[in-house]
Amino acid sequence: MNDQATIKLADLKKGDARCPGAPSTQDIIAADKVGAPGWVRSESYQFLGDEDISKDRYIDPAFAKLELDTLWKKTWQFACREEHIPNVGDYHVYDLAHYSFIITRVAENEIRAYYNACLHRGTKLRASGTEGSAEEFKCSFHGWSWNLDGTHKETVCHWDFPHVDPKKFTLPQARVERLGGFVFINMDLTAPTLAEYLGPEALSHITAWNLQDRYVYLHVTKRLPCNWKLAIEAFQEAYHVIETHPQVAPSNGDANSQYDVYGEHVDRFISTLGVVSPHLYGKVSEQDVLNQFVLGDSSAMGDTKMTLKEGGTARAEMAVMFRGMFEKMTNTDLSKVSDSELLDCFSYTVFPNTFLFPGISLPMVYRFRPDKNDHRKCLYEVLFLRPVPMDGNRPMPAEPIHLRDEQSFCEAAGMDPGFGAILDQDTDNVGLQQEGLEASAKAGITLGNYQEIRVRHFEKTVERYLGMSKKG
Amino acid sequence: MNIESNTAATAAFTPVIKLADLPPNSKKAVTVGSTCVLVCHQGDKLYAISNICSHNEKPLERGRMGNGWIACPVHGARFDLATGAAMNLPAKNPIATYEVRTAGEWIEVLV
Repeated sequence: MNDQATIKLADLKKGDARCPGAPSTQDIIAADKVGAPGWVRSESYQFLGDEDISKDRYIDPAFAKLELDTLWKKTWQFACREEHIPNVGDYHVYDLAHYSFIITRVAENEIRAYYNACLHRGTKLRASGTEGSAEEFKCSFHGWSWNLDGTHKETVCHWDFPHVDPKKFTLPQARVERLGGFVFINMDLTAPTLAEYLGPEALSHITAWNLQDRYVYLHVTKRLPCNWKLAIEAFQEAYHVIETHPQVAPSNGDANSQYDVYGEHVDRFISTLGVVSPHLYGKVSEQDVLNQFVLGDSSAMGDTKMTLKEGGTARAEMAVMFRGMFEKMTNTDLSKVSDSELLDCFSYTVFPNTFLFPGISLPMVYRFRPDKNDHRKCLYEVLFLRPVPMDGNRPMPAEPIHLRDEQSFCEAAGMDPGFGAILDQDTDNVGLQQEGLEASAKAGITLGNYQEIRVRHFEKTVERYLGMSKKG
Repeated sequence: MNIESNTAATAAFTPVIKLADLPPNSKKAVTVGSTCVLVCHQGDKLYAISNICSHNEKPLERGRMGNGWIACPVHGARFDLATGAAMNLPAKNPIATYEVRTAGEWIEVLV
């Protein structure tokens, strides 16, 4: 127990309390052998209030409609990876509820996002959820066509359309920006740049990860039985680990995870792995931690069993072993990568639809989108990224595996069974939460000041886009 | 390389292109009798499919290949390279697929 444990909670300002008797995330990382970079070694928590969050935002279809008319039209959304459209003419259709965009590479270094609708009678120019390449975008109904640069190419039977000026029939576009191999789009032509939207600190973190040097090696999608915000918020804290994921808790610094917010659109947690949960102090040994560590990408582990050296810690032991195993598995040089980046879970939300996990053991991206027909459903995607091999040959991105509603994540070919079970536990909760909120006599949800700050941060931004609070 | 082959009668296969002339992630249209066949080398597998899109009867040979599919360049219909099944609108009907194998340095198809 340290001195912090003797401080009375009543003496602390709201939001200042931390898990008593446990080292902080920064304490744990500071003791690592290979030191962490600046973006890991910083904190940016902010108390944002402690009032309840109204539940109508999760259960009211009118709220969902308002979100589609406001929030989703003004925010930067992850639409695809650049590797999905590597060559000029390649396209990827990104859908957001009823909105649909053809994301296409019109020149080696230029990507555009066209509204996916013929300007004649509105037919989608490309079916939703598809990819391909095009020399022109030709409507399958009457054959009107557009050049790759969006200019109108042909009006079939032009003689019948003297009122159509081809110069005024260029395909409308959303804005496009690229960062770390991700293609972001924004329907708001007056929105801030992506850099302004992210803010300088969060941008510096994302830039440091060089995610453009990774490729998608596994992509799994599943419809979830809850509002899109409930799905997102289920992944924004490690507070649930002890109850939801008992198999993980022995090797996860859950209650002493670190939470940070950056501006309006980015927040994160750092959840250390390879350490005992404060909930289990005195009940779990360092060897137990080694035995029970669950990886997101455990194909590197093979049948390896680790034994703790005398006087060693599980975390230090795992850092050494993981470095070697992941180097071998991914054919990359990880000698300069910190222990923390190798082991820990870094979870960043980029409002509104993206999670980035830049760590090595949990190399993921999540994307969430509302269901266009049902505010109680959403589409959840998990993409695992791996470093592009040292030989420079970038593998083709994995095709999405679309799970049916009743399927387990463990059924997706290539999914680590241990991690698939974790995702099942997370996504089983949210269906019960959706139903419970609808059944509840209580008007809102109650949040912890520290461990659930990301949920509050996210919802405050929702409120700003919906005009429920003053922006700023 | 794991090239899929089959055990059908040798006499029925027609050599169409040398394997060395069809590197991974490339494709080439060939004519066997009166049939236009698109031979595809995608990843580490060979496929032979009809070169004609079932939707609008346009050639597929300039289409993009992904992991196990080809997209028609005209309207974007995609087809499963292994089964010929249509994967999305505007196509609903499958395209024909043909058995393919290697024999020495040649790729052979059964039409």
